[in-house]
Amino acid sequence: MRLNWKPFILSLFVILVLFPFAFMVLLSFMSGWRFPDLIPEYMGLNNWNTILGSEVGLLESFFSSLIISLSVAIISTLTGFLLSRTVYYHPRKRVLTLLTYFPYILAPVVFAACLSYFFLKLGLFGNITGVIVAQFLIAFPYALLFFSSFWNKKIRSYEDLVATLGGSPVQKFIKVILPLAKSMLLMCFFQTFLISWFEYGLTSIIGVGKVQTLTIKVFLFIKESNYYYGALACCLLIFPPIILLYFNKRYVFKNPI
Amino acid sequence: MFLEVRNLTKSFKKEQVVKNLDFTLDAHQTLSILGKSGCGKTTMLKMIAGLVKPDNGEVLLAGEAVTLKKPEKRNIVYLYQEDLLFPHLNAFENIAFGLRLKKLPQAKITEEVDKIIVSLELEGQATKMPNQLSGGQRQRVSFGRAIITNPSLLLLDEPFGSLDAGTRKRMQTLFQNLTKTYNITSLFITHDLKEALLIGDKIGFMKAGNLKVYEDKNAFINDTTTGVQEEINFWESLN
Repeated sequence: MRLNWKPFILSLFVILVLFPFAFMVLLSFMSGWRFPDLIPEYMGLNNWNTILGSEVGLLESFFSSLIISLSVAIISTLTGFLLSRTVYYHPRKRVLTLLTYFPYILAPVVFAACLSYFFLKLGLFGNITGVIVAQFLIAFPYALLFFSSFWNKKIRSYEDLVATLGGSPVQKFIKVILPLAKSMLLMCFFQTFLISWFEYGLTSIIGVGKVQTLTIKVFLFIKESNYYYGALACCLLIFPPIILLYFNKRYVFKNPI
Repeated sequence: MFLEVRNLTKSFKKEQVVKNLDFTLDAHQTLSILGKSGCGKTTMLKMIAGLVKPDNGEVLLAGEAVTLKKPEKRNIVYLYQEDLLFPHLNAFENIAFGLRLKKLPQAKITEEVDKIIVSLELEGQATKMPNQLSGGQRQRVSFGRAIITNPSLLLLDEPFGSLDAGTRKRMQTLFQNLTKTYNITSLFITHDLKEALLIGDKIGFMKAGNLKVYEDKNAFINDTTTGVQEEINFWESLN
């Protein structure tokens, strides 16, 4: 009988993919694991208990990140959606779309350095509002480009049809356009949330160390060679995206219009 | 005259798409309009519906100038070749859409929609979503959604263009019955000579932005520029 290698190879791939995540979770429970020790000095809930304490400030960073990312995702999704319509109907649509790519021509750190003068003048340096505005400048063009594929001749025909049926512009939006765009709105919210959640360059420059998001914390712990707290911060970092991924899978992919 | 179109003109950049359009239509009549693709038929309908702004001219409906009115204030419904059913609403809600916009009471909406579902021979289909309906059923729902709002004028832009021959024939008969039952005034654009003759009380032929409306069907048939004579000769040559 020929041995079927397929399940073994597949399992090996699954293990290779899942191992870093499993190891990261394990690492978050450990401390004092030095070479050549086979097992760590301590393994328990000590690291996790520190989340509740203010000593490391992880919980505070978690909520700061959540506020920043939710704000950026909500504002950029809504403004991106509304303005993408204006861009689609604009006679200079091509030029406007081209300009949308501008923030991506520069590296986020260079982009932030260019903006820093204006942020300083506006008093947006080193506070959450400044970080939200800075991240919005990256997430908004993304949302604008994302929704450019939504507007097409068919959507325009729907808009015209609703108008001739007696619908006001507000009714047109609420009763037809928003339900048609529901899946894309959720998807864009998810994507812009992730852009903001994992953003490092802009946040570190505009936040000047005063706004410590989880991503900033992870880098700080790694710089300090504190891999256990780094792993713990990473666990917190991947928690909201996993929840969002679950909702996306449940509500977006299962109910496409 | 119920519909009066006077000197309607439209250009896109340097190209004049519709040229000095002048015609009238009585109430409860259907004007079939034939013409090749790109001759300005759709632009003409969109100008009458208020979806495209004309460069010159005016549109009067029951003696009232509507040229400057917004589409939602004209009570003129424009139907596309595509049925454009709202994919998130079932057949009942699609038909009820215009009434919901007017915020009518639920009981009145149910009564009106149920009545029109019977007229459209759509019994048993009310709860189905658009993707569960056939092409003909979808087009009937689309008609129902337009007719239920009691429009002053119905503009149809090749509504049966995407249907197969059999469904198209049934839809033509249904449309004729509906226009009589609901006293509909309409402009009906088609590429099909037979369909134009069957459905229109009057017939118009559009060429390079100019519309000629014929006195009667004989005048249309006898005009050598419309292509009807060629069609007749073709079928006679087969005998």
